[in-house]
This record gives sequence, C-alpha cells and structure tokens, in this order.
Amino acid sequence: MSDHLISMYIDDELDLDEKIAFVESVHRDEGYKNDAVGLLQQEKLICADVVAHLPRLSLREQRKSRHAFNWLRPLAAATAALAAAAVFLFLFRPAPEQPLQPFRFVIYQPDASQVELVGSFSGWGRIPLKSAGGSGYWEITVDLPEGDHRFSYIIEGSRRLADPTIGVRETDDFGGENSILSVRL
Amino acid sequence: MNTFKDFYSRQRHNFFSYLVRRSGDYDLACEIMQESFTRLIEKYSADQFTPKLLFTIGRNLIYDSLRRKKDNAPLSDAAEPSAVDPNHALLVREEYRRVLAAMKHLEEDERDLITLVVSSDLSYREVADVTGISEANVKVKIHRARKKLRSLMGRER
Repeated sequence: MSDHLISMYIDDELDLDEKIAFVESVHRDEGYKNDAVGLLQQEKLICADVVAHLPRLSLREQRKSRHAFNWLRPLAAATAALAAAAVFLFLFRPAPEQPLQPFRFVIYQPDASQVELVGSFSGWGRIPLKSAGGSGYWEITVDLPEGDHRFSYIIEGSRRLADPTIGVRETDDFGGENSILSVRL
Repeated sequence: MNTFKDFYSRQRHNFFSYLVRRSGDYDLACEIMQESFTRLIEKYSADQFTPKLLFTIGRNLIYDSLRRKKDNAPLSDAAEPSAVDPNHALLVREEYRRVLAAMKHLEEDERDLITLVVSSDLSYREVADVTGISEANVKVKIHRARKKLRSLMGRER
C-alpha cells in the first residue's frame, strides 16, 4: 500500500521510484488525490506560526569559556579594572537620549479589581493596568529602553505575581519573584 | 563559522515552535528553550551544534517535565487534557489554538513524531535517531499521525 507516500511527499523523503509510484497513484485514484490535497492543506495549518512573537531569553555564551581560559585571569582582572574606569567616566558625562520600544504587558486576572505593574524601569513605582473591556485581561503599554528589565504585577494592591508567560525569572532579596524581560532595539 | 549566536538565530523559531506544539504550554516551552540552549553552551563546543542535538536535548527535557507532571498530578486530573491556560491564550496565535487543541488528543508517540517532523527540518533518518525507532517505522507512524490529526481537526470544526 502506497498510502504513506503522501507523507513522504510532504516531507521531501521520496526517491525517484517512489515519486513515480506517488504520481501514478494520484492520477489513478481520485480518493488518493483528495487525501494528498487534504493533508497538504492540513500541513499549511500545522506549519503556520504558533506565536506572533518569540520570547526573549537571557543566555550567556561566555559561560563555557570561563572555565577554559583560567590562565587568562590576571589579564581579565586588568581588563576589568580598565572597564570599571571606563564605566566611571561614562557615568559622569551627560547621558545621550536612549531610543525606546513600546512593550505591551498583558495578564489574565478575571477576579481582580485592581492590577498594577512595578519594575526596574519605573524605579519600582506602581503603574496601573487597564481592564480590557471586562474580558478578564489587564493591559498597559510602556516605552522601554534596551536592556534587561525586572518586573512583576501587584494584584489588589498587595499580592505580588511574576508574569506567568515569561519563563525567565529571578528571586529578589525579599523572597519575591520577578520576571526578566530583555529588550533589544 | 557556527557560533552560538548564529546557531541560536537560525534555530530559535523552529525550536520554540516545536516546544509549544509538543507541550501545548507556552510557559513550559520558554523554560525548556532557556534550559536547552544553556545546556548546549555548557556541555558542547560550537562545532557540535546541530539541530539534531538541540532537538534531542529539548525532547528529553519535555519528557522529564511531562513525567514529573504525571507523577505529581492528582488522580482526577489524569485522563482529560487540560484547556489552554488563559494566561497563554493571547500569546499563541488564535488560528493555531485549534491545531494545538486537536494535537492534545493524539497519543504521546504520535504527537512526539509529528511535532518533531513538522518543526525541525530533520530527515526521517535523523528523526529515527532522535526517537530511537526505525526509519521504516517513522514513515508509517508519521502518516498515521497526520491522518488521525486530520480526523480530529475535522471533528472540531
């Protein structure tokens, strides 16, 4: 039975003999042709984009090399001192205006009457979210500069909640959890 | 040159799509993507980075996570697959939610195979290596899974 040739055709796995057998089956058998077209149409659905935006991760490539280049440590210390001096100089000159990127924060809290956002970008001051038309979703768009931003939500004025849709988190000094959002412009 | 950054840029879309299709859980997919790329950096050198290795790591992490979830689940929750978490609903495209809902009704091995084949660009030979079944079995089972999914999606229309 050549039924599975349809999937092999979809996945570009047919050799020349199998291609001949597949084309012959399509021409000979109307039902076979309909199955092939139906599965090809389904494939368009399965292979479509799952999410509109990919999550941003905080990945550090240098982790492995840290162990491999121990002999470079003295040099690294000198470089770090130079870098610290550069940072010091940088901090004491007027900062250029940073470009910003709008980011939409959304959370589902159908039972809440008040949801706020706190984060490193607001100096941990509270920003109220707006209820999205009684759907249970709360949202706010905030302009953020490039970099990693820590944030969490405050439900009903007191209950702190990390963003359940962002996997990258860290525990703060008080035992609470913050989500980490990485913005790249 | 196959630097981590190049490899990450080329694979992150396909790999994240695989993790969501396989787990049906956006949050879990984020965690496993983070963990998979971290393991890749920590345990392998740049010349070893291949899609087959990355998908093997991700697949193993999903298996571990599903096993843990199953072990910890109360008996009453064991049978029925859960609905899409409303916190993730806005992040998974609306048109795709129907596909994920149908995929939840596939057997574990069927979902494993179909999500790997459609997401990874791996050949049947490579998929056989990743899953540990024969290439001949991949040919038959992937087609069976596609047909079953078609019938499930037709039922949900």
